[in-house]
Amino acid sequence: MSIFTLQSHSFSPVLANVHSYASELFAKSSVLGFFTNSVLVALVVLSLVLWFARKATKSMTLVPHKAQNFFEFIVEFLYGQVEGIVGPKQARLAFPLLGTLFIYILVSNWFGLLPGVGTIGWGESTGILSIKAAHDPLLRPPTADLNATIGLAVSAFLVWLFLTIKEIGVWGFIVHTFGPKGGLKGVMGMVVAAVFLFVGVIEVVSIIIRPVTLSIRLFGNIFAGENVLHTMSDLMAGTGPVGSFLGSIALPLPFYFMELLVGLLQAIVFTLLCAVYIQLSTTHDDHGHEEEHH
Amino acid sequence: MISATPIIIAAGKVDAIVDKFGLAWGKFIAQVIIFWIVFTILKKYAFGPILAMLEQRRQRIADGEAKLEKIAKDAAEAAKNSQAIIDKAEAAAARLVKEADDAAKAIQERRQQEAVSSANTIIAKAREAADLEKEQLMSQLKREFGRMVSDATSRVTGKVLNTDDQTRINQETAAQVSA
Repeated sequence: MSIFTLQSHSFSPVLANVHSYASELFAKSSVLGFFTNSVLVALVVLSLVLWFARKATKSMTLVPHKAQNFFEFIVEFLYGQVEGIVGPKQARLAFPLLGTLFIYILVSNWFGLLPGVGTIGWGESTGILSIKAAHDPLLRPPTADLNATIGLAVSAFLVWLFLTIKEIGVWGFIVHTFGPKGGLKGVMGMVVAAVFLFVGVIEVVSIIIRPVTLSIRLFGNIFAGENVLHTMSDLMAGTGPVGSFLGSIALPLPFYFMELLVGLLQAIVFTLLCAVYIQLSTTHDDHGHEEEHH
Repeated sequence: MISATPIIIAAGKVDAIVDKFGLAWGKFIAQVIIFWIVFTILKKYAFGPILAMLEQRRQRIADGEAKLEKIAKDAAEAAKNSQAIIDKAEAAAARLVKEADDAAKAIQERRQQEAVSSANTIIAKAREAADLEKEQLMSQLKREFGRMVSDATSRVTGKVLNTDDQTRINQETAAQVSA
């Protein structure tokens, strides 16, 4: 009954109280003030990924064991995708970053779906070892922390910059961005040059915005997912112990599957966009070269 | 004189965003460091060996395929060679059989001729022997007949025949017996 009442009045009261920021596990002013619940989970994710990578690559054989086989499957699949976008030459250089991005983001996203993440923590006490809601959860997926997603996007941006400069050089990058295409000369050539200069400025702005869009897209999706799951879990909170219990299980269940998909999708989107950015900036302007030869 | 109000408002908005999302250099750097640790270790100890292993396996499969192709080619070549050898051997065998057959026929013919020749010789010898024996018997018969005629003549005539009479009678008798 209360649900209908809430829905009829406004949408905002039913939203769960999930913070848009990661909570510090130590005092803000202390040396460990940076140590948030998302940093803790990032360390757990780091340990998990490295443990599995170690397990998969320890005593590798031509006939692979189970862990090696699984890891090889992931690496081969990712390498194929990356190679298909950036080409064989750049794939060798870009794959370590893109592969790490995909695995790290995927594990982080799915880690947020584990029971206890976002629900165990500190809050208004309702009894021994029980709280009304986790105001400061102990665990929070790194991808639901804007610091982490910006960190990932900036890292990707730096590697993109390195690969671009390495491939085409600083002057090549400037020509690639601002240089006129089409080989027109005379007045038309000057007009086209002015247009391409303007397009170059827009391109630079879009390049600068890339880390922002990448990080906010990832953060927004995962943070929204957290909100959806919490909201669905709390939707029948006021309907008595049995209704509340059943509601907290049944209602978020479909959304867990959706979040599994979203987690995978966001990892793919982030990685593929980075690959596309690398491909766009490292592709040589063949037309220009051809015209130079003529 | 440019108004500072928009800048102050923008700065205020940035501060609000920073506060709302808990952005802080320390947290940002911590996250970046964690990611770079994962990146560095995966790059060196996971992706490198895995890609090398995949390349090694790919190379091995390619080598295997090439070897398989070579083996199939060699097998076809060997089958072709063996067929040629078999054909050659069959031709040689046929030639040998024919030669042996011809040789056998020649030998048979020669043996036959030899046997015929030998038989003719034996027959001729036998005939000679028979003629000789006949001649001897005839001369003995003649002698005996002559002696009997001489003896009969001497008894009939009561005359003792001298050597010349005996010789003449013998000759006449032998001539009549021969006739």
